[in-house]
Amino acid sequence: MPNPWLELSTWPFQRTASYKLLLTELGLVDADKPYVEVRDDCARQHRSPAVELRLDGPGGRTLWPLLTFTQGALILACLPLVEAPPEPRPPLPSLASVSQGLALLSGLQDFLCGPGGKPEPDVLASRLAALPSVLLQVCPLGRPLDTPPPAGSVPAAVAPSPGGAQKQPAWKAGVHRGRVVVSVALTEKVRSMQYGKSSQQDIWDVYGMVMCKCEVEGVLPNVSVTLTLPPNGSPLQDILVHPCVTSLDASILTACSVDENDCSAFSGPYKFPFSPPLELFRLCSYTSQVPMPPILGSYQLKAEENHLKANVVLKLHESVKNSFEYYEAHIPFFNQNLMGSVEVKVSSGQLEVSKEKSLLVWVLGQKFPKSREAALEGTVHFSGTVAGPTDPLCTGLTAYIKLYFRVADAVFRYCRVDQHSVQVYSSAKPRIVTTRELVSSEYYIWNSTGDAPVSLKI
Amino acid sequence: MTIADLWDQRISAFLLSLSQFLATTSTESFLAELLHELRNDKTNDQLKTLLVSVLLEHPTILCPSASVGEETALELLSVFSHTPQKSIVLKCNVMLAITNVIICTSCLNTHTKTAEDWLDLLFQMIQDINDYRCGLSQQPIRATACDCLREMETCSPGLLSQKLEALYLLKQQETTVLHQSYCLLYTLGLKNAIRILTNQKDVTDLEFKSILGGNEGFAWKSNQLELTSLPINMLVQVPRLTQGLDCKELKSIMSLLLEESYLLMPISQSALLRELVEVVAMVPGLSRTLFKSQLLRLFGTADVSLMHATLFMKDTFTDSLFTTEDENFLLKRLVGMAQHPLLRITEKLFYMECILHFPENRPISSSGEESLPVLVTPRLAAFLHPTVFNDSATMLCRLNLLCLVHLEANEGEADKGIGFLFDHIMALLKIVDNDGSREVVVTSLRALFIFLMHFSGMEELSEKLIDKLCDMYSRHSRLAPNLIGLADRIQEHPRPVWSVKLLRGLQKRIMEMPPLQLTIHNLSWHLKVLKRVAKEGQITQRNTIYLLLNVLINSNLCERGNWQVGNAVLAVYRNLLDHPSIDQVFIELADLLQYISIQYDDTDIKDHARIYYTLLTNLSWEKLTGVLAKRLDGGRAKERSHSAIMAESEEIASNLTVHKTHVLQLIKAQEKAAQSSSDSVEATGEVRNWLEVYQGQLQTPGFGSEVTLRYNLTHAKETDPLFDKVFTICLHFEPKDSNYAKVTDIHVPCVFRDRKSPEVKVKLKPFQPRMFTTQDGRSWHSRLPDVSVSFPEIFLPLPLPPNSSRECREQVFERIWEATASGNSDKSAISLFCFKPEDKSLADLIKTHFQGYLITDQQSERSWKVLLFLPPKCHILLKITQAEDAAQVSIATDNRELLPFVNSYLQNITDN
Repeated sequence: MPNPWLELSTWPFQRTASYKLLLTELGLVDADKPYVEVRDDCARQHRSPAVELRLDGPGGRTLWPLLTFTQGALILACLPLVEAPPEPRPPLPSLASVSQGLALLSGLQDFLCGPGGKPEPDVLASRLAALPSVLLQVCPLGRPLDTPPPAGSVPAAVAPSPGGAQKQPAWKAGVHRGRVVVSVALTEKVRSMQYGKSSQQDIWDVYGMVMCKCEVEGVLPNVSVTLTLPPNGSPLQDILVHPCVTSLDASILTACSVDENDCSAFSGPYKFPFSPPLELFRLCSYTSQVPMPPILGSYQLKAEENHLKANVVLKLHESVKNSFEYYEAHIPFFNQNLMGSVEVKVSSGQLEVSKEKSLLVWVLGQKFPKSREAALEGTVHFSGTVAGPTDPLCTGLTAYIKLYFRVADAVFRYCRVDQHSVQVYSSAKPRIVTTRELVSSEYYIWNSTGDAPVSLKI
Repeated sequence: MTIADLWDQRISAFLLSLSQFLATTSTESFLAELLHELRNDKTNDQLKTLLVSVLLEHPTILCPSASVGEETALELLSVFSHTPQKSIVLKCNVMLAITNVIICTSCLNTHTKTAEDWLDLLFQMIQDINDYRCGLSQQPIRATACDCLREMETCSPGLLSQKLEALYLLKQQETTVLHQSYCLLYTLGLKNAIRILTNQKDVTDLEFKSILGGNEGFAWKSNQLELTSLPINMLVQVPRLTQGLDCKELKSIMSLLLEESYLLMPISQSALLRELVEVVAMVPGLSRTLFKSQLLRLFGTADVSLMHATLFMKDTFTDSLFTTEDENFLLKRLVGMAQHPLLRITEKLFYMECILHFPENRPISSSGEESLPVLVTPRLAAFLHPTVFNDSATMLCRLNLLCLVHLEANEGEADKGIGFLFDHIMALLKIVDNDGSREVVVTSLRALFIFLMHFSGMEELSEKLIDKLCDMYSRHSRLAPNLIGLADRIQEHPRPVWSVKLLRGLQKRIMEMPPLQLTIHNLSWHLKVLKRVAKEGQITQRNTIYLLLNVLINSNLCERGNWQVGNAVLAVYRNLLDHPSIDQVFIELADLLQYISIQYDDTDIKDHARIYYTLLTNLSWEKLTGVLAKRLDGGRAKERSHSAIMAESEEIASNLTVHKTHVLQLIKAQEKAAQSSSDSVEATGEVRNWLEVYQGQLQTPGFGSEVTLRYNLTHAKETDPLFDKVFTICLHFEPKDSNYAKVTDIHVPCVFRDRKSPEVKVKLKPFQPRMFTTQDGRSWHSRLPDVSVSFPEIFLPLPLPPNSSRECREQVFERIWEATASGNSDKSAISLFCFKPEDKSLADLIKTHFQGYLITDQQSERSWKVLLFLPPKCHILLKITQAEDAAQVSIATDNRELLPFVNSYLQNITDN
C-alpha cells in the first residue's frame, strides 16, 4: 500500500507492528474481510480524535492517544506526550499536547498537500523530502513550536528583518518591501436540504470566509477589514478569527448559531483589526441563517410501469444576481439498470446524459430566464441490462438532485466587503482589491414522493 | 556503492531491527564508526546529518552508560566546533544531539563537567541578541540553543532559576523573530523557580524578589522538583506560595508577557499561556483578572491550541475569572465549533470531547468521567444531532453526546429526543439492509450499541430493534459475526437480557427459513449463530437440535464430509452439551451424535462426535459440565490438552482450520534419493541367463514397486515460536492423480527447531493435510507445501545385485532391447531423438544425468548404453551415439506411454 507514512522521527514505523495495527484500525488492510474482531468490535468506540492501538491484543500494552489525519493515501499521525499517570486514563482535553498535536498535524497537512489538497506525486515527494528539516524547525526535540508554512505560500518581495526597535512577530519571517496591496476575498457557501413536504422542514444555511493577502510595509502594520450587513440582515454567527486579529468587540462574538433565543440586536458592522502575516490567510469565518435559500427547488419522481417520470422546477430568489459563472443540476439514478431512452424537455439550458448512463446533467448555463424559473419534465427508461451504480441510501424512490453553482461578484446575504471597508494605516497609498462570490455546497433537493433521509441539521 | 549508500543501508538496518543489527556488530563499534565518520572532513553535511539523527533518536541505545554518554557528548562537541559556520543545519542537528545525549544519559542530573560546559556554551550562544556578533545567517543556531536550554530546564526543573534576570533582559532586548524562543525560555524558568519556592515554608519578600533578580550560575541541586513537575491540572492540590508577598514586579512582568503573547506562533502562544496560568495559580498575590484583557481575543480564536489553552484557564480559575455568562457563552461557542462547517473533522471531534469534559464552575461530579455539563440542554444539543450524512466518528460522537443529554433530560423532552435518536438508528439499519458497505455495517452496530447502553431499558424500542435486526439477518446472514459480537458486548453490561432476546429471535428466524436458504455458505453463518445461542441457558435448544437433524439427514452434508462444516456443527454440540436443559433433549442429541459418528465422511469429525457421544451417555450432567468447563487461559497443561480434544471454542476451532502459513515443509534429503527398496538377489559366480534371472525377479510380488524419496521434515522459514517443538505429527498424503497407489500415513514423533530434522521416506506426491500437536497440547492441522515429484526422480538403476558383472548387465540390456524392438508387444515402442551437443561435451552430459544408469560406457567409440528402470516393471533403454554433427539417442521402452515423458526429458536436459 503506497502510504507515505509521515515519520515524525526517522523511526521506520512502517515495518512495526504499530503501523500494521494502525492500518487495521483505519480499515486500510483486510478491507475485504467483513468482520475482523480487533477492528470491528462494536464496543470499540471510534468517536474520539485519538486512536488507541492495542499492541499485544486485548488487555495488553496500548499506544494512546494516537492522533491521525488521513487524506487520500497520506496518513499523518503523531503521539502526543501524556504528562500524567497512565491510569486512570486522563481525559483527552486535560492533555495540553493533544491540541498542539492537532495543530501540528493540520499544519503538516497544509504543508504537504497545499491549498488544492491533491498535490502531484513528484511535488508531494519533494515536500516529503523537505520534511525532516521543516520538522527540525517547527518541532525540535519533539516539542511543537509552530506549524509548518503552508505549501506554496512563499511571499515575494520580503526582506529579512534584523532586530529593530519593534519586536518582530514570530509568525512573520520578514517585512514586505514594495507596493502596498491588500486583497480581500469573501466567499460564501450555501448548503441546503429541500424536501418539498409539509412533514419535513426544509433547511439551509450559509457559511462564509474572508481570505486576505496583505502586502504592507512595516513590522506590525495595522489593517482593518469591516463587514457590513444590509438593514434587517441576519447577524453573522459563530465567528472564528485568525490569531493575528488584535482585538475583538464582545458584540461581534455574541451571535451563535446554537442559540435559539438569540435576540441580540447586533447586526454589524463587524470590524476586524489585525496585523497581517505575509502569506495568504483566513481572516475570519462565520455562519449565518438566511430567511430563504437562494434557489428553491422541487423534484418529483414517480415510477410508471418500466420507466421513471421526473418533474423538476427551480426558482431563483430575487435577491440573487441572475448571472452565474456555472450552474448545473445533477440528477443521479442509483440501483437501476443503465439508462436507455431519455425523453426529457427543459425550459431553459440543455440536458446531457452522462457517459456512464446513470446521471442526467442539466446545464442551466449563465442565466435563468426572466421569470427566474426553470423546469424539467419527462421520462427516463432503464432498458439496459447492465446494472448502474448502487447506493444504500437511495433505494426505491429515495432520490435527489444536487445543484452546483457559482455566482461571482455577489454574496447572497449582501454581506458587504468593498474598498471602503478595508483600512490600511500606511504611509503609502494602498491598492485594495476585493472580490466576493457565492458557491453551492451540499445543495440537495430530495424527491418529494419518496422517503428522504431525515436531517435536523446539516 | 558510495559511502553514503553504505551508511544509508546500515542506518536503515539499525532502525529496522535493533536486535538483528546488534547481532552483527556491537553498539560500541557502531558508535565509534559513527563518530569517526562525523569527524571525517570529506564527508558531506547531508550524510553527517543522517548520522547525527541516529544519535538524536536513540541516545540511550548508543550510549548505554553515563560515561559513554559523556564521552560521546565530548566527541560531538568537538565535531560541533570543527563544523564550518556555513553548515547551519548540521550544526543545529549536532546541538540537539548533544543535548539529547546529555539529558538521556543522566549527565545532566549527575552534574558532569561536559554538561556544565555545554550549558555554559549554550548560554553564551544566546547572548548574541539581535545577531549583532554572528550575523543573521547564524540565527537558527541561536534558536536551537534556546530550544536546547528549554529542554534542559524541562528535564531538570529549576536549572535556570538563578538566571532569571539575565534571561529577562535578553528577552526584552531581542527584537527579531527569535523573541518567541527567549520568551518561552524565560517563562518556563520563571514558572519552575516559583514552583520550587512553593515547596518552601514561609517565603520572605526578599527570597521572592531574589528569584526575579537572579543573575548567578546554574542551579544544579534543584532536582527535587522532578517528581512533582506535572501540570497543575493533574495535581490534586495546586502548590501555592504564602500569602501577602509583594507581587508588584512579577505582576508587571506578567502583564508584559501577556501583552506580547500576541507576537508568538499560536502553538507557542498556547504553551506560554499555560505557563502563565500556572504561575498565577501558584501566586496568591497575582490577580486572575490579569488575563481578562486576552479573553475576548481567545474566545474568538479559530486556533485549536489557543482555544484549548482557554479551557485550561477556565479549568484552573473557574468562577474567579469566568462569570456564569462567560461559562454559558464558552459552552455555546464549543457547541458551535463542534459543528462548524469550516473546521476539520478531528478538531470538531476534539471540541465534542471538550464539551463532555467541560470544566464547569460548579461541577456536580469530579470523577473525570464523561458527564455532561448541566448547561448542555436538549435544546442546545439538538444542534449536534447525528445524521446519516455524518462521517462515522462524528456520527458516533454526536450520538453518544445526545444519548447522555436525553438520559438526563426531563421526561417529555427526553421521549421526543430519544424518539429522534431511535429514528436515526432505524435509518442506519435501513442502509445496512440495503447492502451498506462494511464500514456502514460496523458503524451502525456501534451506534446501536451506544443507544442500547443508554436505553436498553425501554422495552418497546428494544423489541423493535430486535425485530429489525432479525429481519435483516434473514436477508443478510453475513451479519452473523457482527450480531454475535453485539450480543456478547451487551451481555457484558448491566442489562444482559436484551442479548438473550436477540439471540432467541435469531434462533427463531433460522428455524423458519426455507430449506433452500440453508445453503452451504449460509449454513456456516447459521451454525455460528446457533453455537452462540446454545450458550444461553435461558433459551430452549430443542429447535436447534431438530434443525441440525433435519439438515444432516436430508442433505448430502455427511457424504461431502467437509471438515469445516463438520467442525462448525460439532461446535454447536459442544455448547449444547453444556446446556442446563440437556436432559430434555438427551435422546435426540445422542441420536444425532451417533449419526454423525457413523455417517460423516471425515475421520476427525467422526472421532469428535464419538467422544461427545461417549461423554454424553456416560457422564452425569454435573460431571459433563465439569469436564467441559475448561478455561482456555487456565494455564495448566493438562487442562489445555483436554481442551484440545474437547472444546470447540471459537479459538480452538479457528486454530484447527487449515492455516495459510506453512509450519513444516519437506526438503529433499541431500544424498541420492533414488534407490531400490527391494532385497538384492545374492550374486553367484555362475554364468546364467541373466535375463531369466531378472525376469524371475520381476515376478516376485512387491519387487521394485516402490520409489523411496527421502526428505527432511523441517520447519518452514518463518513460523511462530509456538511451533518450535512439534509433536505427534501425522503426515497424510493424497496423490493428486491416479498414477500412484495410496500412500500410507507417516508418523513422526517430534520435530524440534534446534535439532537435526528427522528424515522422512515418502512415496510420491505428498499433498494432503496433516495433524500435529504443539507443546501446549493443542492439536493443529496444517497443510504442507506441495511437493512435486519430477520424472527423473522415479528412475531407478537396473535392479540387479550390486556386484553383478558388466557382462551380465549388458546381456540383460540387449535382451530387453531385442524384445522391445521386435514389436511383439503392443505396448513397446522405439523412437529416435537427435540433438546437437553444444557447449558441453556429450560425455559430460551423460555423466551428469545418467551416471547411475550406465550399462556400457565406450567413450572411445563414442557410444553409450543406458537403462532406466521405472517401478513397478517398466524400462527405458537408450543407445546414445555420437555422429558427425549430432548425437543420436535411440530409445526403446516396454511402455509406449512413457515416450512423451522421455522425449520432453531429453529435450529438457539437452536444451542449454
